Order: sequence, then C-alpha cells, then structure tokens
Amino acid sequence: MTAIAVGIHSVTKRFDEVVAVDDVDLEISDGEFFSLLGPSGCGKTTTLRMVAGLEFPTEGRIDIFGEAMGLKPPNHRPVNTVFQSYALFPHMTVAENVGFGLAMRKVPATEITERVHDAIDLVRLTGMADRRPKQLSGGQQQRVALARALVNRPKVLLLDEPLGALDLKLRQAMQLELKDIQKEVGITFVYVTHDQEEALTMSDRIGVMNEGKLLQVGRSEEIYERPANRFVADFIGETNFLSGRVEESGVVRLAGGQLVRAVTHDPVGTEVTLTLRPEKIHLYLRAGDVAPGMNTLTGTVHRRLYYGDSLYYEIDFGFAHVDARVENAPRQQRFEPGHEVIAAFSAQSAEALAE
Amino acid sequence: MSTPVGTPRLEAASERANRRRGLLLALPSYVYLIVLFAIPLVFVGVYSFASRSRTGKPELADWNLDAVAKLLDSTVLQIAWRSTWLALLNTVLCLLVAYPFAYYIATRRERVRNMLLLLVMIPFWTNFLVRTYAWRVLLDSDGLVTRLGEGLGLWGSMLFSAPAVFLGLLYGFLPFMVLPLYAAIERVDWSLVEAARDLYASGWKAFRRVTLPLTRPGIIAGSILVFIPSLGAYVTPDILGGAKTTLLGNYIVGQFLAARNWPVGSAVSMAILIVMLIATTVYFRSGGRTF
Repeated sequence: MTAIAVGIHSVTKRFDEVVAVDDVDLEISDGEFFSLLGPSGCGKTTTLRMVAGLEFPTEGRIDIFGEAMGLKPPNHRPVNTVFQSYALFPHMTVAENVGFGLAMRKVPATEITERVHDAIDLVRLTGMADRRPKQLSGGQQQRVALARALVNRPKVLLLDEPLGALDLKLRQAMQLELKDIQKEVGITFVYVTHDQEEALTMSDRIGVMNEGKLLQVGRSEEIYERPANRFVADFIGETNFLSGRVEESGVVRLAGGQLVRAVTHDPVGTEVTLTLRPEKIHLYLRAGDVAPGMNTLTGTVHRRLYYGDSLYYEIDFGFAHVDARVENAPRQQRFEPGHEVIAAFSAQSAEALAE
Repeated sequence: MSTPVGTPRLEAASERANRRRGLLLALPSYVYLIVLFAIPLVFVGVYSFASRSRTGKPELADWNLDAVAKLLDSTVLQIAWRSTWLALLNTVLCLLVAYPFAYYIATRRERVRNMLLLLVMIPFWTNFLVRTYAWRVLLDSDGLVTRLGEGLGLWGSMLFSAPAVFLGLLYGFLPFMVLPLYAAIERVDWSLVEAARDLYASGWKAFRRVTLPLTRPGIIAGSILVFIPSLGAYVTPDILGGAKTTLLGNYIVGQFLAARNWPVGSAVSMAILIVMLIATTVYFRSGGRTF
C-alpha cells in the first residue's frame, strides 16, 4: 500500500460566521494526481490553502506524510504552491524567481544555478532566464510559476486553478504537459479547478466539493457514471433528471407512470431522481429497431439544436423533457421536430439518486 | 455635403478643438503658476547677480558674480552642510516611524483604514506655526512632556535643544511620509508575499525581499517630500531650537531681512533649488523605475 501524502481529518474552516470548509475528510496517496473540483466559493481553494499553511483549520487536523502540520507556517511545510494568478515577483528575473525558494533554504549558489537551469528546461523556457515576468506571455508566466515550485522538489505540489487565465487551446496543451511533468517528477499533485473537463482528463482521482462539503471522491469514470447525488450529476457534464419512485430493487416508476430498469440504492418506495446522460439515449422511429433489454420511452421531438459534431434533440415525454445527444456521423438518422420517436437507454446508464 | 464624414480635415479640426478645450481647463493653473511662481523665481535668479547698494537696495545696473562667489564661503558651506545633515536625519527618522505605521493602516479593514488616514490629516486643519508654538508649551520647563520625563527620571526640559528640533520636525513632516508610503503599501499584491512564504521565506525575509522592494516608489516619494522642506526648515529650528544654530532657512531670512543683502539671499536660494533639482532627478531615475 502506498503512503498517504496528504491526510485531511475532520477539517472545518470558518471565516467569522461563514463556513468555508465543512468537516472534510480526505486522504491523498503518494504520487497521485488529485483534483478538487467544484464551483467558485465551494471551499476547494481554502482547503488547498490550509494544506499550504496559508490558512489554518478552525477544527480538525492536516497531516503531510504522516506528520501533523498544526500551526506550522508555510515556510516550514514540505509543499509548494502554484498560485492562481502565478504571483511571480515582478522585480526579479525568471531565474531569480525560480531560484527564490532555493536561496531561502541556503542552497549553495552553484547548485542553485544548476537546478534553476534544469527547472527552466523542464518547463521549456530555455533562453528566457533573464527576462522579467512582464516580458512573458500568460502561458510562459504559468510555466515560470510551475518551475519556481517544482525546483524545490516538494513532497506535494499544490496547484490553484493554474490554467484558469489561459485561453482554451493553450489550456488544453498545458493540461497534457502538466500531466507529463507530473509523471516525470513523480510527486503528488493536488489540483484545484472549477473546470470539470480539466479534472476528468487529468486526474487519477477527483473530489467534488460544494458549499464547503466534500460530496464524492472517486476516479473520473466513477464520478461521471455513478454520481453520488444530484449536485455531482449536474455539475459534472450534462444530464437529464427524471423524478420517480423505487418500485422494486432495480426498477423505478417514473412520474408519468412508466416502469424503467435503473441502478437503485434505496429501499422500495423511496422518492428518487433518475439521472440520464444525453449521450446514453438512443433515438429510433420504429420499436422493432430497439435492441432487446433496453428501457424505452415514447415522445415527440420538440426542438433540434445543431452543434457541429453532434445534434441535440429535446424530446417531450409529456411528464418531462429530456435532451438526447446524437453524434453527427455519416448515415445517422435525422429527426425533425414533431416526429414521434422512441428513446432507448440501458438500465446501467440510469442512476437513481435519493433526494 | 462638400466634406464627407471622417476625412482627415475633420479629424484634425476635432483634435484642435480638443486641444483648445484642454488648454482652457489648465488656464487658471497656468496663470497662477506663471504670475506667482515663475516670474518671482526669475526675479530671484536675476537678483543673484545684482549688487547691494549702500542702503540695501539691489542694483541691477552693474551685475556681477560677487553674491554667487559667496556660496563658496566657508560659513555658507558649513551652514549648508549642517542643514543637509539635519534634513537627512529627519528623513530617516520619519521613514523609521512612518513605515510601520503606514503598514499598519494599509493592512486594516477599510473603515478603520479611513479613520486612521483622517487622523493623520487632521493636524493640517490647524496652522503649522500655531502647532509649533503648542510644542513649545509642551516642552517648556513646566510643560506636559517635561513633567512626564522628570516623573520617569528620563529627561528634563528639551526646549531650545537639538532633540526639541528633531521632535518638532518629525511631528511636522510625518504625514508627508505616511501618505505616500500608505499608497505604496496598499497597492502591494499580498499573494506575492504569500508566494514568498510558500517558498520558504520567513516573515522578515518575505518583507525584505518582496514587500520592501515593491514599496520603494513610496519610500522615494515620501523621502523627497520630507527631505526638501526639511532642508529649508525655518519655523521649527527657530521656535523650538531657539535659533541658536544657523541653518539655511534662517540664513536666507537673515540675508533678506536683517542684512538686507538680497543678492546673497537670492544666490543661496537659487543654489538650493538647482542642487535639489539635480538630486531629485538622479534619485527618481535610480529608484523610480516601474517593473
């Protein structure tokens, strides 16, 4: 079993009367790429800052590799942070920025020069050592911030929305690069983001937070396919909600009276919400085309939206509307508003969540 | 229409109109500065080369370099040296007292901050001369400060001594140091300090390596605002120091009023002006650069 890099035990943080982090328990393994995901103000940044030592928990305990951090200031913790706005020192060159942490720890000058050089190479900024932060683009500044943290070889690297200020294309390129760098240096990354796609593609595990609470922790597939509650289902990706009641184990009666097979966790009679992703719904004109064993619901096409790579059909079932996503593939059947269609989905793709 | 919209001629006309409006806004200041500042300064400059008649009237007819040559007189140089030291020491004292205070104000919540800034500015509502006389009362042999010092067994009456002069100067010029420092510290991006702490800097190191360099423009502005008037300080050394030592301020006053030697007074005034102009330019160039 791998060591626990960061242990967060019953941590609560209050600012005056506002509860920013509410009784969070979390263990992050050594070498893991762990993302804290949630909307702004959910407490993910505060959690990260408490690990860094920039804030202290009101209650609870934070351990790093088994050592209780208590009220240790940030300069005595084996972690480094990549700040959201990079926080590069404007009065220092790139090399001075990157070498700051080493200089503070009184590393010999020749070793600093060498390690700074290597770190600048690692983030592919070779030749930029003597520039000032102001003379760099956003993406380059981001790399300096990364090098400045990594050069210290922290046991845990904390990243607070590091790609938030970059445009989409650059962000996607940096996501891959960050993941590669993490593999190369092999240290634990704790990554804070509000971008669900970023979290899904980069992380080994994700912790979803809302209103200070940690709602679910799991691998990307678990979070997406088996959300623990309505908030997680809604926040990660797109989904449809259908209300109903558990009829028997694995069967839900929808508000419209239809019986569908679904993944249930609650006793018979519980009011539940089915979450059903748009891409899991297949549309057919004839009942004979539907594969055996699928749930079917009959409805009318209400609206069609063209997205280029896909089409969204809004289907009216009478008691609810759902969105179905259809790939814009060759020979794919098109449906027109007003058509009566059969929406089919498997039992595995419908998760029944208790209210 | 003969002139289509957006032609260069229309654009030029609009720019001219804009410039005229701009000039109109600045006109009162221009008039004020030219009549009450630039022209008198020219007089002072010209009088530096005049000679003194037997009645004390400046004679412009046979201009010479006598008054300018007096600048190199050992008495004048000694006075200039003494004044420079006094001003420098006062600037350093003000900086040492004002920096922690400005830091304290800048890191308070907004309401407390505004209150404290108001308190810094309140003394300006009373005339400086009156406030200096108030210090004279406080420092007198039965003054509050004196009795406190005697009670503690630490000091007696400081009136008409160097400490009294420094106390008065510190008191008088502190706001000029506090306000620019406050403005500079208030602008500091605190995430930079957090980054320094995260990169193993102790609180003191983070201050030395990040906060202090980032607030240097405030230090420079405050130092200039204190040093220049301290150099010509006249009221404080006169009232609290008992005019026992001659400084540039009372030397110039003496030349104009007592000795009735306007050319020498003018020459010394002009010399201070020129030296200060050069010194501040060099100072700003060296430290006023932005990142």
